[in-house]
Amino acid sequence: MRVEEVYARLQQVYDPELDRPVTDLGFISGVDVDGPVVRVRFRLPTYWCSPNFAYIMAEDIRDRVRELPWVSEVQVRLEDHFAADEVNAGVATGRPFGAAFSGLADGNLEDLRWLFRLKAFLARQERLVRLLIRRGLSDDEIVAMCVADLRRLAESDAEAGDLVDRYLGICREMGLEDLPTAPAFTRENGLLLNPAQLRDVLREARRTRISMEFNAQFCQGLLRTRYGSAEPETVQPR
Amino acid sequence: MFRTPDGGEIFVIDAHVHLWDGSPENQANQYGTGWINCFYDYHRNLSPREAIWPIEKFRKYTPQQMVHDLFVEGYVDIGIFQPTYLKEFFRSGFNTTEQNAVLKEMYPDRFILNGAWDPRDGERGLEYLEFLASRYHIKGVKLYTAEWRGDSKGWRLTDPWAIRYLEKCRQLGITNIHVHKGPTVWPLNKDAFDVHDVDEVATAFPDLNFIVDHCGLPRLEDFCWIATQEKNVYGGLAVVMPFVHARPRYFAEVMAELLWWVGEDRLLFGSDYAIWTPRWIIEKFMAFELPEDLREETGVDLTLAAKKKILGENAARLYGIDIAAHRARLQGDAVAAMMA
Repeated sequence: MRVEEVYARLQQVYDPELDRPVTDLGFISGVDVDGPVVRVRFRLPTYWCSPNFAYIMAEDIRDRVRELPWVSEVQVRLEDHFAADEVNAGVATGRPFGAAFSGLADGNLEDLRWLFRLKAFLARQERLVRLLIRRGLSDDEIVAMCVADLRRLAESDAEAGDLVDRYLGICREMGLEDLPTAPAFTRENGLLLNPAQLRDVLREARRTRISMEFNAQFCQGLLRTRYGSAEPETVQPR
Repeated sequence: MFRTPDGGEIFVIDAHVHLWDGSPENQANQYGTGWINCFYDYHRNLSPREAIWPIEKFRKYTPQQMVHDLFVEGYVDIGIFQPTYLKEFFRSGFNTTEQNAVLKEMYPDRFILNGAWDPRDGERGLEYLEFLASRYHIKGVKLYTAEWRGDSKGWRLTDPWAIRYLEKCRQLGITNIHVHKGPTVWPLNKDAFDVHDVDEVATAFPDLNFIVDHCGLPRLEDFCWIATQEKNVYGGLAVVMPFVHARPRYFAEVMAELLWWVGEDRLLFGSDYAIWTPRWIIEKFMAFELPEDLREETGVDLTLAAKKKILGENAARLYGIDIAAHRARLQGDAVAAMMA
Protein backbone atom coordinates (compact mmCIF):
# COMPACT_ATOMS: atom_id res chain seq x y z
CA MET A 1 0.00 0.00 0.00
CA ARG A 2 1.51 3.28 -1.11
CA VAL A 3 -0.35 5.32 1.52
CA GLU A 4 1.19 3.11 4.19
CA GLU A 5 4.63 3.65 2.71
CA VAL A 6 4.05 7.39 2.95
CA TYR A 7 2.99 7.06 6.60
CA ALA A 8 6.11 5.05 7.33
CA ARG A 9 8.17 7.96 5.96
CA LEU A 10 6.13 10.47 7.95
CA GLN A 11 6.99 8.49 11.08
CA GLN A 12 10.51 9.91 10.57
CA VAL A 13 9.30 13.52 10.71
CA TYR A 14 9.51 14.98 14.19
CA ASP A 15 7.98 18.05 15.69
CA PRO A 16 11.28 19.78 16.50
CA GLU A 17 9.99 21.32 19.69
CA LEU A 18 8.28 18.26 21.14
CA ASP A 19 10.71 15.66 19.73
CA ARG A 20 7.90 13.34 18.74
CA PRO A 21 6.80 12.04 15.31
CA VAL A 22 4.11 14.15 13.65
CA THR A 23 2.14 10.96 13.07
CA ASP A 24 1.97 10.18 16.82
CA LEU A 25 0.95 13.77 17.53
CA GLY A 26 -2.00 13.60 15.14
CA PHE A 27 -0.67 16.46 12.99
CA ILE A 28 -1.19 14.63 9.68
CA SER A 29 -4.76 15.24 8.58
CA GLY A 30 -4.65 13.40 5.26
CA VAL A 31 -2.50 11.65 2.65
CA ASP A 32 -3.56 11.30 -1.00
CA VAL A 33 -1.59 9.36 -3.56
CA ASP A 34 -2.19 10.08 -7.23
CA GLY A 35 0.29 8.06 -9.27
CA PRO A 36 3.72 9.49 -8.51
CA VAL A 37 2.25 12.60 -6.83
CA VAL A 38 1.72 12.61 -3.07
CA ARG A 39 -0.32 15.21 -1.27
CA VAL A 40 0.15 15.51 2.52
CA ARG A 41 -2.09 17.76 4.59
CA PHE A 42 -1.07 18.71 8.10
CA ARG A 43 -2.44 20.85 10.91
CA LEU A 44 -1.15 22.20 14.20
CA PRO A 45 -2.65 22.67 17.67
CA THR A 46 -3.18 26.44 17.31
CA TYR A 47 -3.57 29.09 14.66
CA TRP A 48 -0.49 30.77 16.17
CA CYS A 49 2.00 27.90 16.35
CA SER A 50 5.42 29.23 15.38
CA PRO A 51 5.82 29.47 11.59
CA ASN A 52 9.47 28.49 11.89
CA PHE A 53 8.59 25.12 13.46
CA ALA A 54 5.81 24.66 10.91
CA TYR A 55 8.34 25.29 8.13
CA ILE A 56 10.80 22.77 9.52
CA MET A 57 8.05 20.13 9.63
CA ALA A 58 6.77 20.98 6.14
CA GLU A 59 10.28 20.71 4.68
CA ASP A 60 10.91 17.42 6.45
CA ILE A 61 7.59 16.01 5.26
CA ARG A 62 8.50 16.92 1.69
CA ASP A 63 12.03 15.53 1.93
CA ARG A 64 11.22 12.26 3.74
CA VAL A 65 8.33 11.41 1.41
CA ARG A 66 10.36 12.29 -1.67
CA GLU A 67 12.87 9.62 -0.67
CA LEU A 68 10.38 6.95 -1.78
CA PRO A 69 11.57 5.72 -5.20
CA TRP A 70 8.14 5.96 -6.89
CA VAL A 71 7.45 9.55 -5.78
CA SER A 72 8.10 12.37 -8.22
CA GLU A 73 6.29 15.21 -6.47
CA VAL A 74 5.21 15.97 -2.90
CA GLN A 75 2.65 18.68 -2.22
CA VAL A 76 2.57 19.75 1.40
CA ARG A 77 -0.43 21.69 2.69
CA LEU A 78 -0.44 23.31 6.12
CA GLU A 79 -4.07 24.02 7.10
CA ASP A 80 -5.78 26.53 9.44
CA HIS A 81 -2.67 28.54 10.25
CA PHE A 82 -2.00 32.29 10.07
CA ALA A 83 1.09 31.77 7.92
CA ALA A 84 -0.20 28.80 5.87
CA ASP A 85 0.15 30.61 2.52
CA GLU A 86 3.78 31.57 3.08
CA VAL A 87 4.72 28.13 4.40
CA ASN A 88 2.96 26.23 1.59
CA ALA A 89 4.31 28.42 -1.19
CA GLY A 90 7.83 28.46 0.25
CA VAL A 91 8.07 24.71 0.68
CA ALA A 92 6.52 24.06 -2.76
CA THR A 93 9.13 26.15 -4.53
CA GLY A 94 11.97 24.86 -2.37
CA ARG A 95 12.81 28.31 -1.11
CA PRO A 96 14.74 28.56 2.15
CA PHE A 97 12.82 29.96 5.11
CA GLY A 98 14.60 33.31 5.01
CA ALA A 99 13.34 33.90 1.47
CA ALA A 100 9.80 32.69 2.17
CA PHE A 101 9.56 35.14 5.07
CA SER A 102 11.74 37.84 3.66
CA GLY A 103 12.03 40.84 5.94
CA LEU A 104 10.82 38.82 8.94
CA ALA A 105 13.80 36.54 9.28
CA ASP A 106 17.46 37.44 9.13
CA GLY A 107 18.65 34.00 8.19
CA ASN A 108 17.62 30.41 7.78
CA LEU A 109 16.58 27.73 10.20
CA GLU A 110 19.84 25.87 10.68
CA ASP A 111 20.61 27.33 14.12
CA LEU A 112 17.11 26.53 15.28
CA ARG A 113 17.32 22.99 13.96
CA TRP A 114 20.60 22.58 15.81
CA LEU A 115 19.11 23.92 19.05
CA PHE A 116 16.24 21.47 18.92
CA ARG A 117 18.52 18.57 18.04
CA LEU A 118 20.53 19.44 21.13
CA LYS A 119 17.42 19.51 23.30
CA ALA A 120 16.28 16.19 21.89
CA PHE A 121 19.71 14.73 22.63
CA LEU A 122 19.64 15.91 26.25
CA ALA A 123 16.10 14.69 26.83
CA ARG A 124 16.62 11.28 25.22
CA GLN A 125 19.89 10.76 27.09
CA GLU A 126 18.23 11.66 30.37
CA ARG A 127 15.33 9.25 29.86
CA LEU A 128 17.67 6.41 29.03
CA VAL A 129 20.05 7.06 31.93
CA ARG A 130 17.16 7.26 34.39
CA LEU A 131 15.90 3.92 33.15
CA LEU A 132 19.37 2.42 33.69
CA ILE A 133 19.38 3.80 37.23
CA ARG A 134 15.97 2.19 37.80
CA ARG A 135 17.38 -1.08 36.47
CA GLY A 136 19.94 -0.93 39.28
CA LEU A 137 23.10 0.25 37.50
CA SER A 138 25.50 2.49 39.43
CA ASP A 139 26.71 5.84 38.12
CA ASP A 140 30.14 4.30 37.53
CA GLU A 141 28.70 1.41 35.55
CA ILE A 142 26.56 3.73 33.42
CA VAL A 143 29.41 6.03 32.52
CA ALA A 144 31.62 3.02 31.65
CA MET A 145 29.10 1.64 29.11
CA CYS A 146 29.90 1.54 25.41
CA VAL A 147 27.55 1.59 22.41
CA ALA A 148 27.70 -2.22 22.11
CA ASP A 149 26.49 -2.54 25.73
CA LEU A 150 23.45 -0.41 24.88
CA ARG A 151 22.68 -2.54 21.83
CA ARG A 152 22.93 -5.73 23.88
CA LEU A 153 20.63 -4.28 26.52
CA ALA A 154 18.15 -3.25 23.82
CA GLU A 155 17.82 -6.85 22.67
CA SER A 156 16.76 -8.18 26.05
CA ASP A 157 14.72 -5.26 27.42
CA ALA A 158 11.87 -3.87 25.29
CA GLU A 159 11.41 -0.62 27.20
CA ALA A 160 15.13 0.06 27.05
CA GLY A 161 15.18 -0.95 23.38
CA ASP A 162 12.92 1.87 22.35
CA LEU A 163 14.89 4.46 24.33
CA VAL A 164 18.21 3.10 23.02
CA ASP A 165 17.04 3.32 19.39
CA ARG A 166 15.91 6.88 19.84
CA TYR A 167 19.05 7.86 21.74
CA LEU A 168 21.47 6.34 19.24
CA GLY A 169 19.45 7.89 16.42
CA ILE A 170 19.94 11.38 17.79
CA CYS A 171 23.63 10.65 18.53
CA ARG A 172 24.09 9.88 14.84
CA GLU A 173 22.30 13.08 13.86
CA MET A 174 24.56 14.99 16.24
CA GLY A 175 27.57 13.46 14.51
CA LEU A 176 28.66 11.56 17.63
CA GLU A 177 30.71 8.38 17.39
CA ASP A 178 28.56 5.24 17.30
CA LEU A 179 31.18 2.53 16.79
CA PRO A 180 30.49 -0.43 19.13
CA THR A 181 33.46 0.47 21.33
CA ALA A 182 32.58 4.19 21.56
CA PRO A 183 31.44 5.41 24.99
CA ALA A 184 27.64 5.29 25.25
CA PHE A 185 27.22 8.55 27.16
CA THR A 186 29.10 11.73 26.36
CA ARG A 187 28.31 15.42 26.39
CA GLU A 188 26.71 16.81 23.25
CA ASN A 189 30.15 17.78 21.92
CA GLY A 190 31.54 14.27 22.40
CA LEU A 191 33.46 15.08 25.60
CA LEU A 192 33.61 12.20 28.05
CA LEU A 193 31.54 12.26 31.21
CA ASN A 194 32.97 11.36 34.56
CA PRO A 195 30.75 9.57 37.07
CA ALA A 196 30.75 12.52 39.47
CA GLN A 197 29.14 14.73 36.81
CA LEU A 198 26.33 12.37 35.95
CA ARG A 199 23.80 13.68 38.48
CA ASP A 200 24.36 17.31 37.46
CA VAL A 201 23.91 16.39 33.82
CA LEU A 202 20.67 14.63 34.70
CA ARG A 203 19.35 17.56 36.68
CA GLU A 204 20.03 19.97 33.84
CA ALA A 205 18.56 17.68 31.22
CA ARG A 206 15.50 17.12 33.34
CA ARG A 207 14.36 20.72 32.86
CA THR A 208 14.72 20.36 29.11
CA ARG A 209 12.75 17.14 29.13
CA ILE A 210 10.01 18.55 31.40
CA SER A 211 9.59 21.58 29.12
CA MET A 212 9.17 19.34 26.13
CA GLU A 213 6.77 16.97 27.85
CA PHE A 214 4.75 19.75 29.43
CA ASN A 215 4.41 21.35 26.07
CA ALA A 216 3.56 18.07 24.39
CA GLN A 217 0.72 17.60 26.85
CA PHE A 218 -0.54 21.10 26.15
CA CYS A 219 -0.24 20.77 22.38
CA GLN A 220 -1.96 17.41 22.14
CA GLY A 221 -4.80 18.57 24.35
CA LEU A 222 -5.20 21.67 22.20
CA LEU A 223 -5.20 19.66 19.00
CA ARG A 224 -7.95 17.43 20.42
CA THR A 225 -9.89 20.48 21.54
CA ARG A 226 -9.52 22.15 18.16
CA TYR A 227 -10.31 19.20 15.94
CA GLY A 228 -12.29 16.92 18.21
CA SER A 229 -9.89 14.02 17.89
CA ALA A 230 -6.17 13.58 17.41
CA GLU A 231 -6.79 10.72 15.00
CA PRO A 232 -6.09 11.52 11.34
CA GLU A 233 -8.83 10.90 8.75
CA THR A 234 -6.86 8.30 6.91
CA VAL A 235 -6.35 5.12 8.89
CA GLN A 236 -2.87 5.09 10.24
CA PRO A 237 -1.00 1.83 9.77
CA ARG A 238 0.23 0.11 12.93
CA MET B 1 -9.93 35.11 50.92
CA PHE B 2 -9.48 31.38 51.01
CA ARG B 3 -10.23 29.63 54.29
CA THR B 4 -8.36 26.45 55.11
CA PRO B 5 -10.25 23.62 56.85
CA ASP B 6 -8.67 24.60 60.17
CA GLY B 7 -9.82 28.20 59.86
CA GLY B 8 -6.65 29.78 58.47
CA GLU B 9 -7.20 32.72 56.11
CA ILE B 10 -5.21 33.15 52.91
CA PHE B 11 -5.15 36.50 51.17
CA VAL B 12 -5.34 35.96 47.42
CA ILE B 13 -3.97 38.25 44.71
CA ASP B 14 -4.70 37.06 41.21
CA ALA B 15 -1.78 38.60 39.35
CA HIS B 16 -3.12 37.95 35.87
CA VAL B 17 -6.66 38.95 34.91
CA HIS B 18 -8.29 40.52 31.84
CA LEU B 19 -11.49 42.26 30.86
CA TRP B 20 -11.48 41.75 27.11
CA ASP B 21 -13.74 42.29 24.13
CA GLY B 22 -13.31 39.55 21.52
CA SER B 23 -16.81 39.96 20.08
CA PRO B 24 -17.33 39.66 16.30
CA GLU B 25 -18.15 43.42 16.18
CA ASN B 26 -14.74 44.21 17.62
CA GLN B 27 -12.74 41.71 15.52
CA ALA B 28 -10.92 43.61 12.78
CA ASN B 29 -9.83 40.64 10.63
CA GLN B 30 -9.24 36.88 10.59
CA TYR B 31 -6.37 37.30 13.04
CA GLY B 32 -8.75 38.66 15.66
CA THR B 33 -11.03 35.68 15.05
CA GLY B 34 -8.03 33.33 15.24
CA TRP B 35 -6.92 34.99 18.47
CA ILE B 36 -10.12 34.57 20.46
CA ASN B 37 -10.72 31.07 19.07
CA CYS B 38 -7.26 30.05 20.21
CA PHE B 39 -7.99 31.41 23.71
CA TYR B 40 -11.25 29.49 23.72
CA ASP B 41 -9.39 26.28 22.89
CA TYR B 42 -7.07 26.94 25.86
CA HIS B 43 -10.13 27.45 28.01
CA ARG B 44 -11.87 24.25 26.86
CA ASN B 45 -8.71 22.18 26.91
CA LEU B 46 -7.77 22.64 30.55
CA SER B 47 -10.95 23.64 32.40
CA PRO B 48 -13.02 21.09 34.29
CA ARG B 49 -16.19 20.35 32.33
CA GLU B 50 -18.47 22.29 34.67
CA ALA B 51 -16.35 25.44 34.32
CA ILE B 52 -16.56 25.66 30.49
CA TRP B 53 -18.38 28.66 29.05
CA PRO B 54 -20.28 28.95 25.77
CA ILE B 55 -18.23 30.76 23.10
CA GLU B 56 -20.56 33.77 22.99
CA LYS B 57 -20.04 34.48 26.68
CA PHE B 58 -16.29 33.83 26.36
CA ARG B 59 -15.88 36.38 23.57
CA LYS B 60 -17.29 39.19 25.67
CA TYR B 61 -18.35 39.04 29.31
CA THR B 62 -19.63 41.77 31.56
CA PRO B 63 -17.72 43.56 34.31
CA GLN B 64 -20.31 42.18 36.75
CA GLN B 65 -19.54 38.63 35.63
CA MET B 66 -15.88 39.24 36.29
CA VAL B 67 -16.49 40.64 39.78
CA HIS B 68 -18.64 37.63 40.55
CA ASP B 69 -16.14 35.06 39.25
CA LEU B 70 -13.10 36.58 40.94
CA PHE B 71 -14.34 37.86 44.27
CA VAL B 72 -17.74 36.39 45.08
CA GLU B 73 -17.05 32.86 43.83
CA GLY B 74 -13.32 32.73 43.31
CA TYR B 75 -11.63 33.56 46.68
CA VAL B 76 -9.70 36.43 45.09
CA ASP B 77 -9.13 39.62 47.13
CA ILE B 78 -7.30 41.70 44.53
CA GLY B 79 -7.01 41.22 40.77
CA ILE B 80 -4.13 42.68 38.75
CA PHE B 81 -5.09 43.66 35.20
CA GLN B 82 -2.59 42.74 32.51
CA PRO B 83 -3.63 44.52 29.32
CA THR B 84 -3.16 43.14 25.80
CA TYR B 85 -3.88 45.89 23.30
CA LEU B 86 -3.77 44.04 19.93
CA LYS B 87 -5.12 47.00 18.02
CA GLU B 88 -4.24 45.38 14.69
CA PHE B 89 -6.61 42.50 15.43
CA PHE B 90 -9.42 44.25 17.33
CA ARG B 91 -10.97 47.57 16.34
CA SER B 92 -10.98 49.21 19.75
CA GLY B 93 -8.28 46.98 21.20
CA PHE B 94 -8.66 43.57 22.84
CA ASN B 95 -7.98 44.36 26.47
CA THR B 96 -6.65 47.87 27.05
CA THR B 97 -5.88 49.79 30.23
CA GLU B 98 -8.81 52.08 29.43
CA GLN B 99 -11.19 49.09 29.14
CA ASN B 100 -9.89 47.67 32.42
CA ALA B 101 -10.17 51.05 34.14
CA VAL B 102 -13.97 50.76 34.12
CA LEU B 103 -13.72 48.17 36.88
CA LYS B 104 -10.90 49.92 38.71
CA GLU B 105 -13.11 52.98 39.02
CA MET B 106 -16.04 50.94 40.31
CA TYR B 107 -14.00 48.87 42.79
CA PRO B 108 -10.79 50.79 43.51
CA ASP B 109 -9.52 48.49 46.28
CA ARG B 110 -10.21 45.31 44.35
CA PHE B 111 -8.13 45.93 41.26
CA ILE B 112 -4.63 47.00 40.34
CA LEU B 113 -4.37 48.53 36.92
CA ASN B 114 -1.31 47.94 34.77
CA GLY B 115 -0.33 49.71 31.59
CA ALA B 116 1.43 48.54 28.46
CA TRP B 117 3.91 49.92 25.97
CA ASP B 118 5.43 49.04 22.66
CA PRO B 119 8.85 50.44 21.73
CA ARG B 120 7.78 50.71 18.07
CA ASP B 121 5.54 53.62 19.09
CA GLY B 122 8.61 55.80 19.63
CA GLU B 123 8.19 59.24 21.23
CA ARG B 124 4.41 59.11 21.01
CA GLY B 125 4.38 55.93 23.12
CA LEU B 126 6.59 57.52 25.76
CA GLU B 127 4.04 60.29 26.09
CA TYR B 128 1.26 57.73 26.37
CA LEU B 129 3.18 55.99 29.14
CA GLU B 130 3.43 59.30 31.00
CA PHE B 131 -0.30 59.74 30.53
CA LEU B 132 -1.00 56.26 31.96
CA ALA B 133 1.21 56.99 34.95
CA SER B 134 -0.42 60.33 35.74
CA ARG B 135 -3.99 59.27 34.98
CA TYR B 136 -4.00 55.80 36.57
CA HIS B 137 -0.92 55.79 38.85
CA ILE B 138 0.19 52.47 37.42
CA LYS B 139 2.93 50.47 39.17
CA GLY B 140 3.35 47.90 36.45
CA VAL B 141 3.20 47.21 32.75
CA LYS B 142 2.46 44.15 30.68
CA LEU B 143 4.68 43.77 27.65
CA TYR B 144 3.72 41.57 24.76
CA THR B 145 6.80 41.18 22.60
CA ALA B 146 4.96 39.09 20.00
CA GLU B 147 2.49 41.82 19.07
CA TRP B 148 2.19 42.62 15.36
CA ARG B 149 2.62 46.14 14.08
CA GLY B 150 2.37 46.53 10.31
CA ASP B 151 5.11 44.43 8.79
CA SER B 152 6.78 43.86 12.13
CA LYS B 153 5.89 40.64 13.93
CA GLY B 154 7.49 41.39 17.27
CA TRP B 155 10.32 43.03 19.20
CA ARG B 156 12.89 42.38 21.91
CA LEU B 157 13.45 43.93 25.32
CA THR B 158 17.00 44.79 24.32
CA ASP B 159 15.95 46.96 21.36
CA PRO B 160 17.31 50.51 21.82
CA TRP B 161 13.81 51.98 22.06
CA ALA B 162 12.76 49.33 24.58
CA ILE B 163 15.67 50.43 26.78
CA ARG B 164 14.37 54.01 26.61
CA TYR B 165 10.94 52.82 27.72
CA LEU B 166 12.45 50.88 30.62
CA GLU B 167 14.33 54.01 31.65
CA LYS B 168 11.05 55.91 31.52
CA CYS B 169 9.41 53.25 33.73
CA ARG B 170 12.19 53.65 36.28
CA GLN B 171 11.73 57.43 36.22
CA LEU B 172 7.93 57.13 36.67
CA GLY B 173 8.15 54.59 39.50
CA ILE B 174 6.71 51.78 37.38
CA THR B 175 8.68 48.93 38.86
CA ASN B 176 6.87 45.75 37.80
CA ILE B 177 7.58 44.69 34.24
CA HIS B 178 5.44 41.70 33.24
CA VAL B 179 6.72 40.05 30.09
CA HIS B 180 4.79 37.65 27.93
CA LYS B 181 6.55 35.66 25.26
CA GLY B 182 4.44 34.52 22.35
CA PRO B 183 5.22 32.44 19.31
CA THR B 184 5.64 35.06 16.57
CA VAL B 185 8.53 37.34 17.36
CA TRP B 186 11.02 38.84 15.00
CA PRO B 187 13.27 37.47 13.67
CA LEU B 188 11.18 34.46 12.77
CA ASN B 189 14.09 32.13 12.15
CA LYS B 190 15.08 32.30 15.83
CA ASP B 191 13.36 30.60 18.73
CA ALA B 192 10.45 32.94 19.29
CA PHE B 193 10.04 32.01 22.95
CA ASP B 194 13.63 32.83 23.73
CA VAL B 195 13.83 34.59 27.11
CA HIS B 196 17.46 35.70 27.01
CA ASP B 197 16.56 39.32 26.40
CA VAL B 198 14.96 39.26 29.87
CA ASP B 199 18.34 38.24 31.26
CA GLU B 200 20.09 41.24 29.73
CA VAL B 201 17.61 43.86 30.87
CA ALA B 202 17.24 42.31 34.33
CA THR B 203 20.98 42.85 34.79
CA ALA B 204 20.83 46.38 33.39
CA PHE B 205 17.81 47.36 35.52
CA PRO B 206 18.33 45.76 38.94
CA ASP B 207 15.77 48.13 40.49
CA LEU B 208 12.95 46.84 38.25
CA ASN B 209 11.18 43.52 38.76
CA PHE B 210 10.71 41.31 35.71
CA ILE B 211 7.81 38.90 35.98
CA VAL B 212 7.98 36.34 33.19
CA ASP B 213 4.43 35.20 32.59
CA HIS B 214 3.87 31.52 32.08
CA CYS B 215 7.41 31.00 33.50
CA GLY B 216 8.85 31.08 30.04
CA LEU B 217 7.07 27.86 29.09
CA PRO B 218 7.84 26.15 26.82
CA ARG B 219 11.37 27.25 27.67
CA LEU B 220 11.36 26.37 31.33
CA GLU B 221 15.05 25.48 31.38
CA ASP B 222 16.13 28.88 30.03
CA PHE B 223 13.78 30.68 32.38
CA CYS B 224 15.01 28.74 35.43
CA TRP B 225 18.58 29.51 34.52
CA ILE B 226 17.90 33.23 34.21
CA ALA B 227 15.84 33.36 37.39
CA THR B 228 18.70 31.69 39.25
CA GLN B 229 21.14 34.32 38.01
CA GLU B 230 18.93 37.39 38.39
CA LYS B 231 17.29 38.01 41.73
CA ASN B 232 14.80 40.47 40.20
CA VAL B 233 13.23 37.88 37.90
CA TYR B 234 9.93 36.32 38.94
CA GLY B 235 7.70 33.61 37.50
CA GLY B 236 4.05 34.28 36.73
CA LEU B 237 2.09 31.03 37.02
CA ALA B 238 -0.73 31.85 34.59
CA VAL B 239 -1.19 28.88 32.20
CA VAL B 240 0.90 26.70 34.53
CA MET B 241 -1.79 26.64 37.25
CA PRO B 242 -4.65 24.93 35.37
CA PHE B 243 -2.48 21.86 34.80
CA VAL B 244 -3.12 21.12 38.47
CA HIS B 245 -6.44 19.68 37.32
CA ALA B 246 -5.84 18.27 33.84
CA ARG B 247 -2.26 16.97 34.23
CA PRO B 248 -1.39 16.82 37.92
CA ARG B 249 1.83 14.82 37.47
CA TYR B 250 3.25 17.37 35.03
CA PHE B 251 2.11 20.18 37.27
CA ALA B 252 4.02 18.53 40.09
CA GLU B 253 7.19 18.18 38.01
CA VAL B 254 7.07 21.79 36.88
CA MET B 255 6.37 23.09 40.39
CA ALA B 256 9.23 21.02 41.80
CA GLU B 257 11.60 22.54 39.25
CA LEU B 258 10.35 26.06 39.86
CA LEU B 259 10.60 25.70 43.63
CA TRP B 260 14.11 24.34 43.33
CA TRP B 261 15.46 26.86 40.84
CA VAL B 262 13.39 29.98 41.39
CA GLY B 263 12.08 29.46 44.93
CA GLU B 264 8.78 30.07 46.70
CA ASP B 265 9.47 33.80 47.17
CA ARG B 266 9.45 34.58 43.46
CA LEU B 267 6.38 32.82 42.05
CA LEU B 268 3.05 34.58 41.49
CA PHE B 269 -0.38 33.03 41.14
CA GLY B 270 -2.42 34.08 38.10
CA SER B 271 -5.62 32.58 36.70
CA ASP B 272 -5.39 34.33 33.31
CA TYR B 273 -9.09 35.10 33.74
CA ALA B 274 -11.24 34.67 31.66
CA ILE B 275 -9.22 31.91 30.02
CA TRP B 276 -9.68 30.14 33.33
CA THR B 277 -11.75 31.02 36.39
CA PRO B 278 -9.93 31.14 39.72
CA ARG B 279 -12.30 29.19 41.96
CA TRP B 280 -11.42 25.68 40.85
CA ILE B 281 -7.75 26.48 40.33
CA ILE B 282 -7.37 27.74 43.89
CA GLU B 283 -9.34 24.86 45.41
CA LYS B 284 -7.26 22.28 43.55
CA PHE B 285 -4.00 24.10 44.24
CA MET B 286 -4.72 24.25 47.98
CA ALA B 287 -5.54 20.53 48.00
CA PHE B 288 -2.45 19.66 45.96
CA GLU B 289 0.70 18.14 47.44
CA LEU B 290 3.98 17.35 45.77
CA PRO B 291 4.32 13.58 45.34
CA GLU B 292 6.84 11.95 47.64
CA ASP B 293 9.26 10.84 44.91
CA LEU B 294 9.66 14.41 43.69
CA ARG B 295 10.05 15.75 47.22
CA GLU B 296 12.79 13.22 47.88
CA GLU B 297 14.58 13.78 44.62
CA THR B 298 14.52 17.57 44.60
CA GLY B 299 14.43 18.28 48.33
CA VAL B 300 11.70 20.91 47.89
CA ASP B 301 8.13 20.97 49.12
CA LEU B 302 4.99 22.92 48.41
CA THR B 303 4.15 23.77 52.01
CA LEU B 304 1.23 25.84 53.28
CA ALA B 305 3.65 28.73 53.80
CA ALA B 306 4.80 28.42 50.17
CA LYS B 307 1.22 28.35 48.93
CA LYS B 308 0.43 31.54 50.88
CA LYS B 309 3.38 33.30 49.31
CA ILE B 310 2.45 32.17 45.82
CA LEU B 311 -1.23 33.01 46.20
CA GLY B 312 -0.77 36.51 47.56
CA GLU B 313 2.21 37.52 49.68
CA ASN B 314 4.72 37.73 46.84
CA ALA B 315 2.50 39.93 44.67
CA ALA B 316 1.66 42.08 47.72
CA ARG B 317 5.36 42.73 48.22
CA LEU B 318 5.89 43.70 44.57
CA TYR B 319 2.90 46.04 44.53
CA GLY B 320 3.44 47.56 48.00
CA ILE B 321 0.26 46.17 49.54
CA ASP B 322 0.01 45.89 53.32
CA ILE B 323 -2.16 42.77 53.56
CA ALA B 324 -3.57 43.39 57.05
CA ALA B 325 -4.52 47.00 56.30
CA HIS B 326 -5.93 46.11 52.90
CA ARG B 327 -7.97 43.24 54.30
CA ALA B 328 -9.56 45.64 56.79
CA ARG B 329 -10.43 48.08 53.99
CA LEU B 330 -12.05 45.39 51.88
CA GLN B 331 -14.43 44.42 54.65
CA GLY B 332 -16.55 47.47 54.04
CA ASP B 333 -16.54 47.64 50.25
CA ALA B 334 -19.29 46.97 47.70
CA VAL B 335 -18.05 43.46 46.94
CA ALA B 336 -18.12 42.52 50.64
CA ALA B 337 -21.75 43.61 50.66
CA MET B 338 -22.47 41.28 47.71
CA MET B 339 -20.90 38.38 49.54
CA ALA B 340 -22.74 38.99 52.81
